[in-house]
Amino acid sequence: MSNDKKIPHIDKLSRQLADKTMDRREFVRYAALLGMAAPAAYALAGSITGEPFAPPASAQTTLPKGGILRIGNRVKEIKSPHSYSWGGYDSNMSRQVLEYLTYTDIDGVTKPYLCESWTVSDDLKTWTFKIRKGIKWRKGSDFTAEHAVWNLKRVLDPAVGSSMIGLMKGYLLNEKTGADGKATTEIWAPNAIEIVDPLTFRINCKVPQVAVPEHLFHYPMAIMHPSENGVFGVGSDGTGAFELTEFELGKKAVFKKNPNYWGGAVALDGMEHIDTGDDPTAAIAALASKQLHGLVFADPIQYEALKAQPHLAFYDVATAETAVMRMRPDAKPFDNPKVRKALRLASDPAATVKIALQGLGLGGEHHHCSPAHPDYAKIAPFPRDVAGAKKLLAEAGFPNGVDGEIFCPTDNPWIQTMVEASVEQWKEAGIRIKITLMPGAQYWDVWTKVPFGATIWYHRPLSIMCLGLAYRTGVPWNESGYSNKEFDEILTVAEGTVDLAKRKELVAKLEKIMQDDGPIVQPIFRSTFTFMDKKVKGFTMHPTNYLFGWKIGLEA
Amino acid sequence: MGERGVNMIQAIGKKLLTTVLTLLAASFLVFATAEFSPGNVARKTLGPFASQQSVDILYERLQLNDPLPIRYARWLGVLLGLKADPLQDPVLKLDFKDPRGDQYFGNFGYSTLYKAPVNDVIWGRLANTGLLAGLAFAIIVPLSLSLGILAGMREGGPLDRSISIFGIVTTSIPEFASGVFLVAVFVVWLGWLPGTSPLAGSTGWPVWTQLVLPVTVLVLYDSGYLIRMVRGSMAEVMAKPYIRTAILKGLPFREVVTRHAMRNAMIAPFTVILLQINFLISGVVVTELVFAYPGFGRMILDASLFGDIALIEAATLIALVVAITTQFLGDLGYALLNPQIRLS
Repeated sequence: MSNDKKIPHIDKLSRQLADKTMDRREFVRYAALLGMAAPAAYALAGSITGEPFAPPASAQTTLPKGGILRIGNRVKEIKSPHSYSWGGYDSNMSRQVLEYLTYTDIDGVTKPYLCESWTVSDDLKTWTFKIRKGIKWRKGSDFTAEHAVWNLKRVLDPAVGSSMIGLMKGYLLNEKTGADGKATTEIWAPNAIEIVDPLTFRINCKVPQVAVPEHLFHYPMAIMHPSENGVFGVGSDGTGAFELTEFELGKKAVFKKNPNYWGGAVALDGMEHIDTGDDPTAAIAALASKQLHGLVFADPIQYEALKAQPHLAFYDVATAETAVMRMRPDAKPFDNPKVRKALRLASDPAATVKIALQGLGLGGEHHHCSPAHPDYAKIAPFPRDVAGAKKLLAEAGFPNGVDGEIFCPTDNPWIQTMVEASVEQWKEAGIRIKITLMPGAQYWDVWTKVPFGATIWYHRPLSIMCLGLAYRTGVPWNESGYSNKEFDEILTVAEGTVDLAKRKELVAKLEKIMQDDGPIVQPIFRSTFTFMDKKVKGFTMHPTNYLFGWKIGLEA
Repeated sequence: MGERGVNMIQAIGKKLLTTVLTLLAASFLVFATAEFSPGNVARKTLGPFASQQSVDILYERLQLNDPLPIRYARWLGVLLGLKADPLQDPVLKLDFKDPRGDQYFGNFGYSTLYKAPVNDVIWGRLANTGLLAGLAFAIIVPLSLSLGILAGMREGGPLDRSISIFGIVTTSIPEFASGVFLVAVFVVWLGWLPGTSPLAGSTGWPVWTQLVLPVTVLVLYDSGYLIRMVRGSMAEVMAKPYIRTAILKGLPFREVVTRHAMRNAMIAPFTVILLQINFLISGVVVTELVFAYPGFGRMILDASLFGDIALIEAATLIALVVAITTQFLGDLGYALLNPQIRLS
C-alpha cells in the first residue's frame, strides 16, 4: 500500500468507518473512488473494524471454454456511442468491443479498467489517471492517454449531444452564448483535460468533485479509436474482448472473440444478440426452446412464465431504476409549484409498487434518490395527504380541482400501469388527468417537450448523478426544463463533498427541494432482474443491466 | 382470331395505363398521409436529441414550407431518379450515405429508423416475408381447393359437415391465440420445435424448423376461409341443371366433377385466392410479432410506430404494387377461366 499516503481524506474516511457513521461498503466505495486499489480498501476496512471483510471474488474462476452465447436484446441503432440514450440495448452491444476507463462493479465499487490507478489532490480538484501499460487496440496500435483525452473532449463538445455534459457540466464546463445567440457550453479552461505523458492524463476541475472515476463508467463514455471519428459499426477498432462482425438492425448483432485481447484469454468464442421484438411472449418462447441463453433484462410480465422453466436461473438486484411522471414548470397548470406538490401529495407509492411491480421494488419519495444510492438521505416521511393536496390546489387557484393530460410511452408495461394507478389516486384529490398512450419510439421524439410525461430512468450509482443528469439547469437530459438556482448550487457543492455525512446533509436539502418545488411525481423504484440458462457461468446482474461478455463462460 | 388478339393487347394496354394511374394516385395519398402525421419531417429525421436550430435549418433546406403537390413532385422526382436526393447533400452533415449515389431510379430515400438507405433495408425483409408467405400459399391453395371441392361435392354430407366445422373453427381463432397455443404444445410441452423464428442459423435449430410454426399459423387462419369459399362455389355449380343432366346421362360421378364442375366452380374463388397474396404480404404482422420473425409486416409496424416516413412510403408503395399486380393477374386469369367474359 505504498500509495496510501498520497490518498487524501483517507484518514477522515477511516474515522467515519471507526465511529460507524459510514458502513464498510461505503468506505470501500469512497476509498476506491479516491484512488485506493479496491483490494487495499477492503483490507483497510477489515483492519479498522477488526472484522474480516473479504472482497467479492473478482478473479475469473475457471470458466468453461468455447461456445457462442445467445442473448435476447433489442437490436437498436448503435452508430454513435457517445450519444447513446439506452444503456441496456445499445451500450451492451458496443460494450463488448469498446471499453471504459474505469469499472463500477455490482456493489458500486469503482475499480481499475483501462486506467490502472488514479490519484486526486487534497482539494478534490486535480485528478491524475494512469493508463494500464500494454493495452492494445484490436488493430494493433497502443492505447494512449491521447486517445482517452480525445474521447473526453469529444463527449464534452455540445455538437455531439452526449449526456456526459449533464454529468460533467458542474465541474468541467462553463456556460456561454454561442454564435447564434443561444446558450451553449465550453470546457472551462484550456488545460481542463491534459495529457501528462503517453500513459497519464489529468482532469482539472473547476470545483471539487468526488465522483470523477464513476462518471468515466457512464455508458456514453465508451473509449473509441479517434480515427473512426465517433462512428461505431461492423469491424470498428476497440480495445475490448470482442469484434462486431455482423449487424442487422431489428434482427441481430454478431460478435467474435478478439484472440489478442489485452485482458487475457476470453472464454466464449463469440456472442450473438438476437432481437425478439416487442412481444414479450416471443422471448419466453425463445428461452423455452433454448434458442436464447438469456435476456439482458426481463419484464415483470415475463417473470412467472420464466420462473417456471427449470433450466433457467434467476438473477436480480435492487436498483435506482424508476419511471418519473414529470411536469414542465413552464406549462400550465404545472407552472405553479403548489400544483406539482399537490400531485405528489395525492399519490400513494406503497399501493403503486404493489400494482405496477407486483411488489418487486420499493416506494419512491418523489425526489429520485433511492435507498440503493449510498448518498441517499433519509428525510422526514412524505405521506399521502389527499386533504393537503386539495388545500394546496385551492391556494393555487384551483378550488374545483385541476385538469391535465399525461403522455405515457407503451414500451414498458409497468410504466403504463404505474401511470394508470396514479391517475386513479389523483382523482380523489380532484386532479383529473387524461392518459394519452404513445408508442415508445414516438414518445422519445417528444419526451423533453410534452407538458406532462412518464419517462424511464435507469440506475445510476449515486443519487447526485441522477439529480445532475435530470434536474440541473440547461443540461441535455433535463426533460422538464426544471431550473432552480439554489438546487444547482447545492448540487455542485454536494458533488465536491467527500465527507459522506456532510454530503448526505446536502442531499437531504436537495430531496426537500424536489419534494416542495421539483418537477416530478415518482412513486416507485424497481428491482431489475433477468433469467439465464444454468449453463451460463460467471454472470452477475449489474444494477445498470450491463453485460460483460468477457466475464461469461458457457457449459457445453 | 386476329381481331381478338388485337383486342386483347389493347385491353391489356388499357389495364396497364389504369394501373399506372392508380399507382400515382395511391402514392400521392400515401405521401400526403405520411407527411401529415404528427411531428415534422425534419425533427423525425434528426431525432429527439437534435437542437431546434438544426431542425430549423433542415426544415428550410428541404423546403418543407412548399405546398404539398410541389413536395410530392419533388419526392417523385427523387424516386424516379430525375432529381438528386436532398437529404444526402453533404452540406446537411446528416451522414446519410447511399452507395448507389444520390440520384438513381428507385431511390426511396433514407430510413431514419434503420439509419440506412431504404433499399438496404426493405428487400431483405420482403424476401423473408416472401418466403413465409410463399410457403404458406403453396400449402393453403391445394389444401383449401381439395377440401373445398370435397365438401362442395356432396353438400350436407358428413364429409362436408366435418370440413366446414374445421374451416369455421380455424378461421375464428385469431393468429396470436393459435400462435401461443401451438408454442405451448410444440415448444414448451413436446420440445419439438423452436419458439421463435429469428432466421438465424446459429440458434441451435435449423432455419427450416423455425418456419414450421409461423407457416402453420398462417395456413390454419387463412385456409378455413378459402375452403368455405371454394365449397360454396362448388356446391352451387353441383346444383346446376347441366350437372344434373350429366349425372342423369350416366356419366360417372368422378368424371362429372373433374370434367364439368371443377372448372366452373373455380371462377369465383380464383380472385379471392389471388387476394390472399396481398393478405400474406402485409397482413402477417401478428404472426411475425408472435414469432419474432424479421419480416416485412413487422418492419411496417416498426416504421409506423417510429414515424419513419421514407420507409412507410416505400413499404406502402411496394404493397400497392403487389396488390395491383395480383389484381391484374386476377383479371387476366378470370378471362381465361371464363370464356363468357371478354377483357374489353
